[in-house]
Amino acid sequence: MKTYLKIILLFSIIHFVSCEDVIDVDVQTAPSRLTIEASLDWEKGTTGNNQTIKLSTSTPYFDTTSNTGVTGASVIVTNTTTGAEFVFEDQNNGTYTTTVFEPILNQSYTLDVIYNGENYTATETLISVPDITEINQSLEDGFDEDLLEVNIIFDDPEEEDNFYLFRFKEVGDRFPVFEDFDDEFVNGNEVRWFYEKEDDDEANTTAFEPGDTVTIDLFGISETYYNYIRILIEQSEGAGLFSTIPVALKGNCINMDNPDNYAHGYFRLTQVERMQYTFE
Amino acid sequence: MPQNLKSKTGKKNRCIPIIFFITLCFITSSIEAQESYTLSGTIKDIKNGETLFGASVFFKGTSIGVITNEYGFYSITAPKGNYTLIISFVGYNEIKEEIVLDKNQKLDVEVTESSMQLDEVVIKSGQTERVSLRKPEMSVSKLNIKTVKQMPVVLGEVDIIKSIQMLPGVTNNGEGSSGFHVRGGAADQNLVLLDEAIIYNTSHLLGFFSVFNADAIKDIKLYKGGIPARFGGRTSSVLDVRQKDGNNKNFGLTGGIGVISSRLTAEGPLFDDKGSFLVAGRTSYVDLILKAAGEKNTAGFYDLNLKTNYSLNQKNKLFLSGYYGRDNFKFGDNFKSSYGNLSGNLRWNHIFTDKLFSNASIIYSKYDYDLDIVIEKFEWISSINNFNIKYDLKYYASDKFKLDFGISSIYYDFDPGQVRPTSESSAINPLSLDRKKAVESGAYVNAEHKLTDNLTVQYGIRYSTFSRLGGQPIANYANDQPVVYNNTLGIYERGTEIGETIFEKSETIKSYGNFEPRASLAYQLNEYSSIKMGYSRAAQYVHLLSNTTSVTPLDIWTPSGEFIKPQLSNQYALGYFRNFNDKMFSLEVETYYKTTDNRIDYIDGSDLIGQNNIETEILNGESRAYGLEFLLRKNEGKFTGWLSYTLSKSEQRTLGGTAGGPGINNGDWYNTPFDRTHDFSLTAAYQLNEKWNFGANMVFQTGRPITYPNGQYQYEGLSIASYSDRNSDRLPAYHRLDISATYKPNKKPNKRWKGEWVFGIYNLYNQKNAAAISFSQNIETGANEATRTAIFGIVPSIQYNFKF
Repeated sequence: MKTYLKIILLFSIIHFVSCEDVIDVDVQTAPSRLTIEASLDWEKGTTGNNQTIKLSTSTPYFDTTSNTGVTGASVIVTNTTTGAEFVFEDQNNGTYTTTVFEPILNQSYTLDVIYNGENYTATETLISVPDITEINQSLEDGFDEDLLEVNIIFDDPEEEDNFYLFRFKEVGDRFPVFEDFDDEFVNGNEVRWFYEKEDDDEANTTAFEPGDTVTIDLFGISETYYNYIRILIEQSEGAGLFSTIPVALKGNCINMDNPDNYAHGYFRLTQVERMQYTFE
Repeated sequence: MPQNLKSKTGKKNRCIPIIFFITLCFITSSIEAQESYTLSGTIKDIKNGETLFGASVFFKGTSIGVITNEYGFYSITAPKGNYTLIISFVGYNEIKEEIVLDKNQKLDVEVTESSMQLDEVVIKSGQTERVSLRKPEMSVSKLNIKTVKQMPVVLGEVDIIKSIQMLPGVTNNGEGSSGFHVRGGAADQNLVLLDEAIIYNTSHLLGFFSVFNADAIKDIKLYKGGIPARFGGRTSSVLDVRQKDGNNKNFGLTGGIGVISSRLTAEGPLFDDKGSFLVAGRTSYVDLILKAAGEKNTAGFYDLNLKTNYSLNQKNKLFLSGYYGRDNFKFGDNFKSSYGNLSGNLRWNHIFTDKLFSNASIIYSKYDYDLDIVIEKFEWISSINNFNIKYDLKYYASDKFKLDFGISSIYYDFDPGQVRPTSESSAINPLSLDRKKAVESGAYVNAEHKLTDNLTVQYGIRYSTFSRLGGQPIANYANDQPVVYNNTLGIYERGTEIGETIFEKSETIKSYGNFEPRASLAYQLNEYSSIKMGYSRAAQYVHLLSNTTSVTPLDIWTPSGEFIKPQLSNQYALGYFRNFNDKMFSLEVETYYKTTDNRIDYIDGSDLIGQNNIETEILNGESRAYGLEFLLRKNEGKFTGWLSYTLSKSEQRTLGGTAGGPGINNGDWYNTPFDRTHDFSLTAAYQLNEKWNFGANMVFQTGRPITYPNGQYQYEGLSIASYSDRNSDRLPAYHRLDISATYKPNKKPNKRWKGEWVFGIYNLYNQKNAAAISFSQNIETGANEATRTAIFGIVPSIQYNFKF
């Protein structure tokens, strides 16, 4: 919701008089770090037994190497209440998988990764998500009255602070779009969230048309992960004139042997409602 | 939320102590052995009756003289005798008057503008330079509005804020950003006054235009340091802008028609010539053009200046002035936004005796914004209001001793934000952030003391107090830590709120008091040169919260209190001043060192929007700035102008303090966003003949410190940038060249209508100066890119100005 307050500035007068172009810039290069993408998402209606953790290393900003997967690491997730241990097996391509994970809502889990002789660890709780009550499409509820948007409707629980992550990906698009949301202004209300795509030649996006299919993920996330992903999303959109000054973002994966060599990425546990919608 | 009333007992509201030094000040006044008399009066422009601020009034062949004050008043005391009085003011003909000083007497003088009607710098500057060599005033720049009007500007609209950026030590934050920076200070550390009223936002359309309509402005004075004791409340600078009083001889119209905006000013005499008025309006019509072009997104601004005055008698004069300005943005039908300043001021000049001048003011000012988020059916409003009363006196004790003293008090009402649903079907719950109230008071005394013919000192002190008033709850935090360092994750996090203390309206939440000594001296080495040095200490009790790359109109002000301490700055300056070639050239060299305590900075991931407890987002730090400034002016001839160069450094450090941990940027010093190593600017005017004159500006400055990525990693199918230390990179250097030409058609002396065409080209060589560089992944190729946002390329403009 707060994003709206910023958007108005971003799109106001600057929009008319400014010009944007891609330029060459010299940037600093930091030493490479381990990146832990440990997103244990439990899709509603499934057992959640199959889980994947990805390990890779960071590269210089303008580097185009795509394969930075890390092999030979040890990856273990432990339920801190029950003591149940889930060993993720090295697939030798940077991914580590298990087929026996047991997700339990509101329980705490610990991740342990040993890589290059250093032990990385993180702790997180599995957060629930409310059901999506309705998905529909409209013209007039979005930014632009002439463009189609999809609406996701759900009831925010009143008794607690809730944090959400949306993931939208149109079938055929190369990259997903993430949006974050907290219930500060709408606690306990029915939430109606829309997703609309712009017709923008420069950004290479096209608006939704009948027949287009979009996958929608609604994640219930913890407050600490919200604080992380909120900054990550904002920074990944690029820091414009009125954006918050970008920062070195730290996740929850800490290096027990060498704290300065912390890992990028995050160990998250979420419940996710996953849907597909085809525009009519 | 549990209310914890016991945790901290609210202090009883103490009466704000108002300290009067005044009685002390009279002691030095009567130490005059010789028989002396006083000559006093007002200096005015003969054509329109405008009083002249800064005119020099001197007895020829002596060092006895004075500069007129803001209301054109002067008072000279000298031993009995015959004198030649010389009155000079830039842009005006020098006046000589024989005076037999054998009794106290009044003399009001009207001076004529120099016949050429040129810019001030073209005219021989007369005696003014002599005064500036002697006067201990340093780090001050006074710009005549005529000089400002001749500088080339973007889109033809005269811009005071952009013109002061041509002076040494003053920089902008790039195009498309509000405010200005003085000697490495932040935008909120400038006290901007329009007829004594505090202006919180100095620009229209996000920095493209200043809020000051040049037709309504008489003069501008910028104090970069050595801030006189009568000003308080900001640590970096004071920009003192004064509106015209209005022509009290004839009715007149002044106006201009430009590409983007037009303006009209009406002025004339009132009440049988005992008073005058001025009404000035300005409006942009970009929005109309955009609408006509079928654009859904529009932007525009307008403002209104008002001034009127009335002389009750020789000794009493009343002034009423007002300003109202507003910006409007519309983004399709989804968002609307409007914001602006409003101010009003009633002043009473009273001359007690020919040696004692006084002014009392009651001032109101307000800044507010309103965002209407139509699409989500809610609006967001926020404002800062203040009432200010002040009483200032100046006692012209003798030729050698002058005393300023006075008191002031400001009542603030901060409304940091309210969310209101605009429809029953809105999903948004209403929300009000806590209103904050405070009183800032000050008392000062300042002496200007001529010790010998060559040495003049100025010394004074200001005592300021600040009381944060009750009527709101204050959160309590576990271990008194609003921000806590998480040792495990190595990041700063919000503290845990363990309840709140409710302060009644009669209680004071927190009080501060500070002595602010100010001193300077001028030693005249010879007829051509002098050295000056100064020290000043200043306290700032209100702070602008901004964690964005550029200051935006939506940033909010917040008072000092339980968690945010007042900023305290100390500045030391040393300068050398010299005139060359019979004052054709002048050179000013100054160096300064400035430290500021309690400068806040924002923790990583701070979120200021809709934040009720700002203290959970900030850490208290410090800043320091130092630099060397050169200003070389050519004051006379067909070709005039100035060249300024500044070499400087501005850094800050923010330690963890009570929050624990190393602090921001590992506790190391880092560049402030206002650090500019080199800042060079050239302003030139060339008078070809009576019809044509030309102007040019050139600017080169080191790029603004900014944070760039230092790597990337793969996460959730995206390439994510990892960023380096705060402000450890820089935008490319900023530079541009502007030119202008002014054409005055047929000059018929008897014709009342006078017109001129102003042709301008901003950014002549179409330099794409980066206002921002953003880093993101191209969604088609997946490659990382750096995208530059440049605001203005080459912008030609044409404007027609008239006077009737």
